[in-house]
Amino acid sequence: MNELDQAGLARLRDGWISGGAAFELAPAEWKEVAAASSPDEQERRLLAIAAQALDVALRPAAPKILKRRPPLPVLALPMLPERLRPSLRAALKYAADARRKAQVVKLVASRGFVTHPMDWMPSASDQTAPDIYAPWIDWQASAEAEQLWHKKLTLQNWAEFFPAARRVALTGMRRSEPAVARQLIEAKGPAESAEVRLSLVELIRIGLGPDDAPFLKSLATDRSTKVRELAGRLLAMLGQHGESGADVPVAELAGFIEEGKAGFIRRRTTFGPAKTKSHAQEQRRAELFELCNLVDLVARFGVTESDFITGWQFGTDNNVDILLSRMVAASGSDTAVAHMADRLVDEGGKPVLRVLQLTPRLDSRRKRVLVRLILKQANYLGMLNQAESLDAGWLDWDDLTNGQVLPALRSIIGENDDAMRRAVDDFLETMGFLATATAATRLIDDLVAAGLPPASPSLGLLRLNAALAGNPPQDNI
Amino acid sequence: MQLDLKTIEALAPDQASLGAAAKLTKRSNWPRLEAHGRLPLIWGECQGSGSNPYRVAFDTSDHGYKCTCPSRKFPCKHILALAWIGATAPASFARVDQTPDWVNDWLGRRRKPGQSPTQAAASSEGKSIDEATRPAESAPVEDAAAAERREAAQRKRAEDTRSAVSAALDELDQWVADQLRLGLAGFVDASSERCRRIAARLVDLKAAALAGRIDELPARLMALRSEERPDAAIRELGKLVLLAKAWRAAPDDAELKRLVSTSETRDQILANPDAVQIESDWEVLGEKIETRRDGLVSHATWLLDLESTTPRFAVLLDFFPASAGRRSGAFAPGDRFKARLVFYPSRNPLRALVAERLGDASPGSWPDFAADAAGDPLAAYATFQDGAPWLSDCPVILPAGAIALDEKEGAWWQAASDPHGIALPIAGSVNQPLLGLDLAATAALWNGARLELLASQSSIGRLDLS
Repeated sequence: MNELDQAGLARLRDGWISGGAAFELAPAEWKEVAAASSPDEQERRLLAIAAQALDVALRPAAPKILKRRPPLPVLALPMLPERLRPSLRAALKYAADARRKAQVVKLVASRGFVTHPMDWMPSASDQTAPDIYAPWIDWQASAEAEQLWHKKLTLQNWAEFFPAARRVALTGMRRSEPAVARQLIEAKGPAESAEVRLSLVELIRIGLGPDDAPFLKSLATDRSTKVRELAGRLLAMLGQHGESGADVPVAELAGFIEEGKAGFIRRRTTFGPAKTKSHAQEQRRAELFELCNLVDLVARFGVTESDFITGWQFGTDNNVDILLSRMVAASGSDTAVAHMADRLVDEGGKPVLRVLQLTPRLDSRRKRVLVRLILKQANYLGMLNQAESLDAGWLDWDDLTNGQVLPALRSIIGENDDAMRRAVDDFLETMGFLATATAATRLIDDLVAAGLPPASPSLGLLRLNAALAGNPPQDNI
Repeated sequence: MQLDLKTIEALAPDQASLGAAAKLTKRSNWPRLEAHGRLPLIWGECQGSGSNPYRVAFDTSDHGYKCTCPSRKFPCKHILALAWIGATAPASFARVDQTPDWVNDWLGRRRKPGQSPTQAAASSEGKSIDEATRPAESAPVEDAAAAERREAAQRKRAEDTRSAVSAALDELDQWVADQLRLGLAGFVDASSERCRRIAARLVDLKAAALAGRIDELPARLMALRSEERPDAAIRELGKLVLLAKAWRAAPDDAELKRLVSTSETRDQILANPDAVQIESDWEVLGEKIETRRDGLVSHATWLLDLESTTPRFAVLLDFFPASAGRRSGAFAPGDRFKARLVFYPSRNPLRALVAERLGDASPGSWPDFAADAAGDPLAAYATFQDGAPWLSDCPVILPAGAIALDEKEGAWWQAASDPHGIALPIAGSVNQPLLGLDLAATAALWNGARLELLASQSSIGRLDLS
């Protein structure tokens, strides 16, 4: 179409938009073709010509600036084979929340694969995705993300790294060279926002040692309350008191705890919750457990962390047991956390559920012992989904047959109790994450034989797990 | 298999359903019949009146069932026929150990009844398998005069329809002229109401297909940015004028009749010796499912011929009432199968029926169409418009390219060979990962203003974009 035609088309267009006869505005050649006896027919003919011109001769003008994103980074693991993608999509669709979806992705990564980006991709703010996805997180976060994944993070190139890349680099350094990583955080942290500072200080938790104490103490003057609290908790884990002056709340909290004596021959000190008189007092107690550090509390009673945990009367008040577990998880030393877990696991029964609060800080062995114990007891299967930071794909078939869990599941499947069935669905999703491929296959067969529909969506993750047989769990994903 | 004819008789909603089911028990109607080796399940694909075969599954233990057909009878004739074959010719079913995904999908969603199936208790009163299998009484022999009267009546009906459609197009012409006189700015703002009014009039005058198209016009306009709507209105109204003129020039043209009044039946297409038939390997590129204002859902399944050296497409088009709920299609994007397709006669044959399924086709990438797409990626569209300028959506294969964003975050497909030249705007938003991938080839629908992406080939394999 030449310029005259284009100008004529523009005039026609303007004429028709405002309304009325536009025939006289058309290019001469068009008028010739469209000439007719009736004015309406002339307009219609012109309309048909204009429609064709717009359709074929003109096409939308591309804007001057079109932004291309950098290529999507290639991850260090291969993509899930095409034949398994429908199973992955089914498992992701069934996973109700981000935490469940993260488990699906973690299982897949543990077997040596990453997802297809059209099936699942971490968001720019994702904190739970396996480290293998960090290049994608940074790609999402920035259109200009550079490929710095093989470079070492230093003071000089700090600004070139995007947050997820920095997090992964610092995590690795805290494992191999904790002092270097700390020095980087110490030097660069003050220039970052409170939210970023908090996540940087959080990394000190990895490989936490006495050498970190001076830095953590220096954070007592940080502008952010959350950073100060975190530094205090980390110091408490090292058995050191923070410098934030939490003396008054500790005294108040100690008032909510009753000290006693037990045993006729070997007298020992016991601790337990004092009776509260009102709901307001209970609330205040809960706040104090959250505010105070274990090391300060036990110092108030003049005992060690281990003595305090040994002397605590678990089972007196479930709510206070949970508060104490959270406090130990947040500010207890590694020894205290392990001691509490061992004590509760030895005790068995309901108190063992309190160990669930400690799972983020437990080593793999203790986490597995806990999961096995809960499965063996089979009374609180629903609580398993509260456990955090569990490893994927290690639970054997023997772990499932060693106790009452299978008979309990079969019995629920045979009944028509919707609430119980939902609990089973939830449990099966957890098993889909924890089980080995062999255990997943056998569990599916067993439950289908018990009457669970073979295509039940709750079996989705177990099926994906089973299909990933031949790809043993991998570390350091 | 715990099936007997009494159960089927009891399940049937009425005698007519049994009669219809009896006709479907012929093996030739069922390209696929399978039974699970261990579970009480049978399923199959039945070639119904739609362009896609219907997927039918039946649980022989509790008589639960599922069929993808739009029938409002429960169970439908396809279910009854499947059960009937199961009861009388179980050897027709291939024994397998794996249920297909669509059966799994149904099994996963259905609630297994704890109580005994209610259907089995249904009365078989007034329905009889024997009655259904009895050959239909032969029609009384028609005398010559009666036949002549019938043919005359048919001719008169056709003449009446033609007159009515002609009158409808006259009204349409006048309506188009009115919109131009009143101004397209006002038309765009009030398109919903104005289109509804003329569409209703066209339905009265037996131009139902054209009415449906005009009913969808407001939605097409609203999908665009406001500054683009007047141009789109010119294009859409201009195409209506062209279609009306074409129909007047050739009122008996099958394609034009289909676009203006009514479409042929499946049987008419299959029996039409002029209908193009192509036996090939096909890949399902994608689906386009739209709920129309007339309460129907149109389900278009776009296919690519994998054996053709130039891009050749087909579309399987089905309509069903929106009130029937979401239906799963017979094919999923990415599926590959061998089949003989019969195309509706047309200047650009696209709409087709699956005449015969011939098994699955092997996976792989698309044929290399690069030579065809090396120049103008929209050359195919220009040819398409030359043949039938009244149509809108044209399938195209775009050469190597990538997706880029403009300043308003609108997505554009951009040719790799000429990053500063050819770029086409994309309808709707795109998935983020797509922005970081190089696309070796892309299948899309171009409507003159926007691309609707169907699928792409990339370094990480096939991407489903529909």
